[in-house]
Amino acid sequence: MLPAENLEMLMARYQQGDSGAASTLIECVSPRLHRFFVAQSLSRADADDLLQETWLRIHRVRHTYRPGEPALPWFYAIARHIRVDHYRKSVRTTAGERELDAMARNSHPVSPDAGGDAEIEALLAPLSDSQREVLTMLKVEGMSLEEVARATSSSVGSVKQKVHRAYKKLREALSATGVARWQSGGLS
Amino acid sequence: MRDNEIDDVLKKAARASLSLDRRILDPIVTSIKSSLRPVRPLPAPWIMTTGLVAVCAVVSLAGAMRAGFFGFEKMDLLERFVVFPVIAVLVGLSANTFVHEMIPASRRLFSPTALIAIAVFALVGVFAVLFRDHRIDHFFSVGVVCLITGILHAVPAGLMSWLLLRRGFAVSPVAAGWAAGTLAGLAGVGMLELHCPNFEAAHILVWHTAVVPVSGALGGLTGWSARHLTHSGNRPSSATSPGRQDSR
Repeated sequence: MLPAENLEMLMARYQQGDSGAASTLIECVSPRLHRFFVAQSLSRADADDLLQETWLRIHRVRHTYRPGEPALPWFYAIARHIRVDHYRKSVRTTAGERELDAMARNSHPVSPDAGGDAEIEALLAPLSDSQREVLTMLKVEGMSLEEVARATSSSVGSVKQKVHRAYKKLREALSATGVARWQSGGLS
Repeated sequence: MRDNEIDDVLKKAARASLSLDRRILDPIVTSIKSSLRPVRPLPAPWIMTTGLVAVCAVVSLAGAMRAGFFGFEKMDLLERFVVFPVIAVLVGLSANTFVHEMIPASRRLFSPTALIAIAVFALVGVFAVLFRDHRIDHFFSVGVVCLITGILHAVPAGLMSWLLLRRGFAVSPVAAGWAAGTLAGLAGVGMLELHCPNFEAAHILVWHTAVVPVSGALGGLTGWSARHLTHSGNRPSSATSPGRQDSR
């Protein structure tokens, strides 16, 4: 994984039309965005689609990144809105379409690299969408409170409150299932 | 269970292999490379904020020049030195919020809905303190004219602001619409304060202040319509080339 300052440098070169920087950026950031989508309880097929949609949006609005600003919150802010849009669309989906979607999800092969993603998804399952989102950015992606607040268009205080509540829920859930089970290799 | 044990579990999960199937990455790389060209980053937020404040000032002054500065002439010195600086500060805050709504992950001072609340409370507070004429003559007939005049001046301010920031709208058009509507509404209030000679407290408190939330709501509705139209008419798929959407 590239250090954060390299992401900013790559982003600046991507804005200048450097195709090598674009490829490196896609290869470096995509797995993180994919993991973010999977951690939001999306199917792997949906996460693949949303990743593609996110890159289309990133490409279209790449001029809105301001050189020198942290790049990760900028990526996650866009990814987050793509996920919210997806949620709105899925709410409008009819029952019949939902059934078809479910069939498609079940038939989609799980990636061999999905181990860590599946663990995070199962671990964060008891949390609400906003708590999952914040905890994924903060603890899994290693972003700072300020960066998470920027990515989620909220205040640092609000992020802290969500994390506090998420930990409370996780403590209860993990106490019930047993932390040793997770520490010794997750669900598998 | 302690928090650090939960951290360990999350870190362990996070350490898992971070790689994606080439079948997912290759089409993204190909489609982006095919339409890659240099783009000019947005100017510094303070430049865009200044531009928006200038747009509002121009719209308010142009409207008052056309209709007459009757309100400004009737005001005493204290009223002039309180009303217009308060409107100017609110315009600055709204412009700043609008600019930050256009840039993903930008640090913002207020949410657009909080901004409307702040603008309405500030205007109501100032008007209630300064204007003490409690008569209610022709409350509705005169008031509706002022509301419509304010909105009619908010529309060009909103359009010019949109034109200035058309390269933004990257994440939430609804939030950006609320902020733009609030800003445009304040341009309308500015014009009314310069022009309207009706200093009845109820008239100013209700009809002048109402321009801000009505304009904000119209902006939010416009943003919602834009988002709805974009989603219903432009669903990206794996076959969509980013180049087709890249008009910048």
